[in-house]
Amino acid sequence: MIRRIPWWVGGLLMALLLMFTFSVFGADRPIGASTYVPYFAGLLFNLDPEQYGYLKEIDSAGAWEGVMLLGALVGGFVTSVFITKSFRFSIIPTAWKKYKNGSVVSRLSWSFASGFFMIIGARLAGGCTSGHFLSGMSQTAISAMIFGGIVMATLLITGRLFYKKEAQDV
Amino acid sequence: MFERIMGMFETVANEGHGSIALVFVIGILFGGIIQYSRVDKFEKIAGFAMLRDTVVPKMLFLAVGVASIGLYFMIEAGWAHYHIKPILLGGLIIGGVIFGVSMAIFGKCPGTGPVSIAEGRIDVLVGAIGGLLGGLVFTLFYEPLFKPLMGPDLGKSTLTGVAGDFGSVTILVFGIALVAVSILIPLRQEFDEADLKRLG
Repeated sequence: MIRRIPWWVGGLLMALLLMFTFSVFGADRPIGASTYVPYFAGLLFNLDPEQYGYLKEIDSAGAWEGVMLLGALVGGFVTSVFITKSFRFSIIPTAWKKYKNGSVVSRLSWSFASGFFMIIGARLAGGCTSGHFLSGMSQTAISAMIFGGIVMATLLITGRLFYKKEAQDV
Repeated sequence: MFERIMGMFETVANEGHGSIALVFVIGILFGGIIQYSRVDKFEKIAGFAMLRDTVVPKMLFLAVGVASIGLYFMIEAGWAHYHIKPILLGGLIIGGVIFGVSMAIFGKCPGTGPVSIAEGRIDVLVGAIGGLLGGLVFTLFYEPLFKPLMGPDLGKSTLTGVAGDFGSVTILVFGIALVAVSILIPLRQEFDEADLKRLG
């Protein structure tokens, strides 16, 4: 079994999945992945949708993405155990050790904070890498191009400023 | 909470956006493709931010280029519809900046995060808990704080819509240009140690 597929096979498969999801034979809607987070927060903290307007707004999109997410967890688990064989418990990514530091506390607190702000950013923009980049750009949506340009720029600037230029010994 | 989760399945079942099983399978394929091409890895996403790995932009541009042409002709044939997000300038700019910074540090996005958790990444699980709290804060303060920040709705414009009669030419140029960009970006890869060992 091949352990990984090259970028162009991944890209073509993702394009096919996107087209199928959009089609009337599929789900007749785009792929998105950040609406499920506030939706699950609503479930977990038992917030009343009648009281919080935002939960009402995302009720149908959040449910759809919630079910898709459960599928993505299963798909990711099965593939990592049986195909890519990359399943293992780990706390610090190798490249974080190389270009940032080897501290568990540092990685976990940065993960927590960036996870927190990532969702606020995605919800402010009304979408994320899936909703804006994949689905939005494929429809040539201007909103997606604005988001895409800004994210690309800030991603590269942050990468330059936040990480060390030279690799450290791991 | 159990009732609310059942409610989630009910909502999906009662909507015309595919059966529960179909949506679940779309999720499995989504997670499978991401995991199989390894673009959920910190080394790939943060690696792109450091310009040490270009697999993510190559795959993203190729997928969008191919799908944009495919979707356009599917819509002409009546097999699909566009679902455009509106331009909320404040939200797109502020949200985009916050998202870009977080993505570079986290090395994940909301779609690739769960796939990484599924392969045993504890740091991503901690980030997801942060994300849930972010979602909670957004929900709690949506009306007084976040909604005014997002700004007025400037409409659901698309490039093909702006091009009018030249829609099909525009989409062909757009799609082919993105595919060309995806091929022209030089291939750089940053593997992690575990990966290198398994590659032998």
